[in-house]
Amino acid sequence: MKKSALLLVFVLVFSVLAACGKSNKDGGSASSPAASSPAATESASPSASGNTDFKVGMVTDSGTIDDKSFNQGTWEGVQRATKDLGLKEKYLKPAGTTEADYIKEIGNLYDAGYKFIVTPGFKFETAIFAAQDKYQDAKFVLIDGAPHKADDFTAVVKPNTVSIFFAEHESGFLAGIATALQIKEGEAGFIGGMEIPPVQKYNWGFQQGLKYANDNLGTKVTIKKDNVVYQGTFSDVAAGQQIAAQMFDRGVKVIFAAAGGVGVGAIKEAKTRGEAGKDVWIVGVDVDQYADGMKKDGKSIILTSAMKKIDQAAYDMIKAETEGKFPGGQTLTFDSKTDGVGIPAENPNLSPETVTKVNEVFDKLKSGEIKVAGEQGDLIK
Amino acid sequence: MNNRIVISLCAVVFGLLAGAVLMLATGHNAGSGYSYLFEGGLKNAERIGNTLATATPLILSGLSVAFAFRTGLFNIGVAGQLLVGGFCASVVGLGLDLPKVLLLPVMLIVGAAGGALWAVVPGLLKARFNVHEVVSSIMMNWVGFWTVYYGVQSLIKNPSSETESKQLPEAATLKAAWLTDLFHGSYINLGLLVAVVIVLVIAFIINKTTFGYELKAVGHNRDAAEYAGIAVNRSIVYSMAISGAIAGLGGVVMYAGNASNIQIGILPSQGFDGIAVSLLGANNPFGVLLSAIFFGLLYSGRGFMNAMTDIPPEIADSIIAIIIYFSATSILIERLLRRFKRRRANAKIAAVQEGKVKKSYVDNDR
Amino acid sequence: MDYVVEMLNIRKEFTGIVANDDITLRLKPGEIHALLGENGAGKSTLMSILFGMYQADRGAIKINGKEVRISNPNVANELGIGMVHQHFKLVENFTVTENIIMGSETRKWGVVLDVKRAGKKIEELSKRYGLNVDPYAKIEEISVGMQQRVEILKMLYRKADVLILDEPTGVLTPQEIQDLGKIMKNLIAEGKSIILITHKLKEIKEFADRCTVIRRGKTIGTVEVADTSEAQMAEMMVGRQVSFKVHKTESKPGDVVLKLESLNVKSSRKALALHDFSLEVRAGEIVGIAGVDGNGQSDLVEAVTGLRKAESGKIYLNGKDITGIPVRDRIESGIGHIPEDRQRRGLVLDYTLAENMVLEVYHKPPFSRGGILQNQAIRKYADEIIKSFDVRSGEGAVSSARSLSGGNQQKAIIGREIERNPVLLVAVQPTRGLDVGSIEYIHRRLVEHRDKGNAVLLVSLELDEVLNVSDRIAVLNNGELVGEVRAAETNENEIGLMMAGVRKEARA
Repeated sequence: MKKSALLLVFVLVFSVLAACGKSNKDGGSASSPAASSPAATESASPSASGNTDFKVGMVTDSGTIDDKSFNQGTWEGVQRATKDLGLKEKYLKPAGTTEADYIKEIGNLYDAGYKFIVTPGFKFETAIFAAQDKYQDAKFVLIDGAPHKADDFTAVVKPNTVSIFFAEHESGFLAGIATALQIKEGEAGFIGGMEIPPVQKYNWGFQQGLKYANDNLGTKVTIKKDNVVYQGTFSDVAAGQQIAAQMFDRGVKVIFAAAGGVGVGAIKEAKTRGEAGKDVWIVGVDVDQYADGMKKDGKSIILTSAMKKIDQAAYDMIKAETEGKFPGGQTLTFDSKTDGVGIPAENPNLSPETVTKVNEVFDKLKSGEIKVAGEQGDLIK
Repeated sequence: MNNRIVISLCAVVFGLLAGAVLMLATGHNAGSGYSYLFEGGLKNAERIGNTLATATPLILSGLSVAFAFRTGLFNIGVAGQLLVGGFCASVVGLGLDLPKVLLLPVMLIVGAAGGALWAVVPGLLKARFNVHEVVSSIMMNWVGFWTVYYGVQSLIKNPSSETESKQLPEAATLKAAWLTDLFHGSYINLGLLVAVVIVLVIAFIINKTTFGYELKAVGHNRDAAEYAGIAVNRSIVYSMAISGAIAGLGGVVMYAGNASNIQIGILPSQGFDGIAVSLLGANNPFGVLLSAIFFGLLYSGRGFMNAMTDIPPEIADSIIAIIIYFSATSILIERLLRRFKRRRANAKIAAVQEGKVKKSYVDNDR
Repeated sequence: MDYVVEMLNIRKEFTGIVANDDITLRLKPGEIHALLGENGAGKSTLMSILFGMYQADRGAIKINGKEVRISNPNVANELGIGMVHQHFKLVENFTVTENIIMGSETRKWGVVLDVKRAGKKIEELSKRYGLNVDPYAKIEEISVGMQQRVEILKMLYRKADVLILDEPTGVLTPQEIQDLGKIMKNLIAEGKSIILITHKLKEIKEFADRCTVIRRGKTIGTVEVADTSEAQMAEMMVGRQVSFKVHKTESKPGDVVLKLESLNVKSSRKALALHDFSLEVRAGEIVGIAGVDGNGQSDLVEAVTGLRKAESGKIYLNGKDITGIPVRDRIESGIGHIPEDRQRRGLVLDYTLAENMVLEVYHKPPFSRGGILQNQAIRKYADEIIKSFDVRSGEGAVSSARSLSGGNQQKAIIGREIERNPVLLVAVQPTRGLDVGSIEYIHRRLVEHRDKGNAVLLVSLELDEVLNVSDRIAVLNNGELVGEVRAAETNENEIGLMMAGVRKEARA
């Protein structure tokens, strides 16, 4: 016993020493590429010619990489692009969600040679504002936000940065059309997370979609003031479940849940009721949530999803860089015209007629024949 | 004391070893992993600055826990106290129009008061009704969490974001241009100086004053303190208040130094890391200072290790967590060390089997 | 010659301390064998080894001549060894029978508890050995002495042949001690063997056949009790000659220092623990409080020292009403207190000796100036106490209090209290668990304090101590003053009856 304990200590100590020794050697050589990085400035100057030799980095927002939302969507786009284009990619997960945390990770990516950096979410706005000046030879893609100073909200998009927004109201509109066409008659509801512009735009678009279908396509799906609720967080699963239960009890047939974790609760409630044979539906948000609503019988209670194609945005920007067309300094809005929003390609719960009709409306949106308002107007909340 | 340093160093070594095992187990090179980890925290002035800045709130949260420990209390509510302290200071920082030299001291005082207020509640409950402070201080974490959630939204909401407060004006932040320049653009700030001063003050109170003597006596042996005529209940309340005030200051340096606003819906992890910092620092103010800097180094070097190797962020997080929690197991190390010593001593006795040797090892033991 | 138990050359070491170093103990069948030693001599360790709670590092144990390995208490039970611990291990709200069968329940059809059968068996055992225990009484309803018999029954029920009794008389009244003596005789008459752990020489002389004396982990020798005097055994135990008699002159009582007027105090359980208690202690006298443990002594002491609030009644110190004032004010008006539990109340074990020496005066000059501790002054003060009270420690004033032996801890506390020269010294169990040498020293110090014209209130469970040291004795029973007697005019028997609640007038 005594000897073995001694032995153990020796082995441990020895292995530490060995590890240290090795690490010093490794450190010496491996740190050189990072140290020499400032010298690589010339290659990154905004040039018209294509750049096919760069590394793509991403910093995640709060939440994990597989959040079935922004982080995951962005990362999937990055991965698809780097695979297609033969690039290297990496994501880092900041320790917190403050500006300092974000800048630190951006710096880490930069120091490690990842000079094309994609960041999802408005929380990165001030961090990118600082980073675009600090790392002028790097490129930044800010999804769903525009860089600005901490105490001044004027967007400042430098030539090495692209700021991307989505037309959530158009996405919500299409989902509303699809919902109305499929349900034909009944009550709809909306659960939002926090009352912030992207979520509000989903809501307003959805209401306009229902109205358009009622007016033009012969459906009779209504939405009452009581059934439009912002829970206040993106995380309270239990609250989401409760709110959904109340709505279903009030006779709501379908709920559009644009609410992160709160939406997860709503999906849970719908699944429980669906298993019991009730006819209830959820409309998913941001990404195709069909799989999240899967019941035991292999069918999902997700009617369709109002998507914004984050992955497409990330993909497009990386591709543009390789072609020398990086739209630096611009603020882009991904909408129906650029196929940046829409409902999923596959909708097992929608009838072929519905899909056809939705596509017709989609085309009218693209052509500008139909306009969806991104403001509240006389809509509910 | 020397013994304590050895124990803490052993704990760190064990932590690093455990981290290395995890790296190896997931198929990564532990040597290069660690070299990037330390490089990431120390490579240049900016990174050193960031390491120190990361350590700053940890110094104060660790000190808060350590102070409570020394006085026999387990303040597990540091996270809530950080939050409330930071919130109170932010409200003042946003609301008062004073020159920086005046505004910062006011914010620090108000932040400390906020933290103290949050810690006094468990202190009073313990003193009056003998409610265990662990339970009540955990509860206070959530009370603080939701109070700040509500307070930020109703008082100092950021017009462009639901989830954070307004940005503090220049006059209300601990960031100082000369420090930022000295560390080549790091987010290091005056909070570090605050933390170091508080470490010195607390060390002085604990070791040199009658007040510290009383608090420690109550901590070590409540009955004996009562017997000696020390006002036990009052001491408990004071201890919690001071511990909370330190945590409140931690909140100020965190939200008005490292960051420049408060995000709601997040209970700061620094509060719980404070427990590990305190354990590794042997509840000694200077030990806390060193161990917080070590933790700061790990946190700030982690991203670079991540970027330079194939270690995924989730594994990197686990590695840091493992190092920290192994590092905090100094009690285990102490036990191992003692057993080791005894074995050696036994061997000596068996060899010489005379009283003289026995005496010498008894002396060693002290 | 055959032995039931043989423990040969036992050695056991704990971190840095050799608790047993070559101890040999042989127990004959049918004898009461006393194991005598000072506190910390290694008695408890040795018995814990026999009972399987520790393993010896070296040496052998033989039961009925066969070498055995006792790896845990269950093995000990199987080998017929039973132990009655100093602190009973009984469930308060269970009956005697339930307590006894716990762990070896008799069952009907494999699952149903058969309490009746067990109760009958216990009744039989109780009769056979003269224990007189009611198998169906609840533990909380019976006396401490009776509880001890339940513990003994528990061993007998498990068919133990060798019984270890650890300090069994500490909690008993003199009469109960006599009863225990009879029970032990009955037990050996039925073929059991008993190991009696104690440091009370009188009891050994009275009950034991042979006695093994250990000192500092070593066997000093085994003697026939009949051929050995108490003084000889004491000398073996301590290593030098000791005197049992406290030398003191006749007391010269002066003014009343402490006056208690119809004091009522509630216990921590909110029951009235001391009722209508009145007493006077004068300058230059030692008043002893005699009584069985738990009859209101600690409540009395805490009320006087301010650690507990008096419900009603008055406490005067030198004529001043101190009933409602806090502990610190009482300390400053001249009360010194040697607490019952030195580790719980008396010392901050993690503080150094020096820090402990100023526990009550740290905030006053010269030890504190402007709220800052003056370490040099503290150190000097502590060194003085250490020197004059002969407190032995590894590193003097800077040793941690925890590292001191019990006796030296106690000497330090007594030194601290006497050094402040209090007009009233409340000494509670001042010699508990100490060896004969230390006891002698502490008694002398108490008498010296009296001779300086101070009042001393001595509370002790050791009747000998109360009788030897006090000038006057007040007897407590069930929270009430049974009576007061002059120490020189009474004897153990009279006090013993009073402790049991029999009033002097009633007997007269």
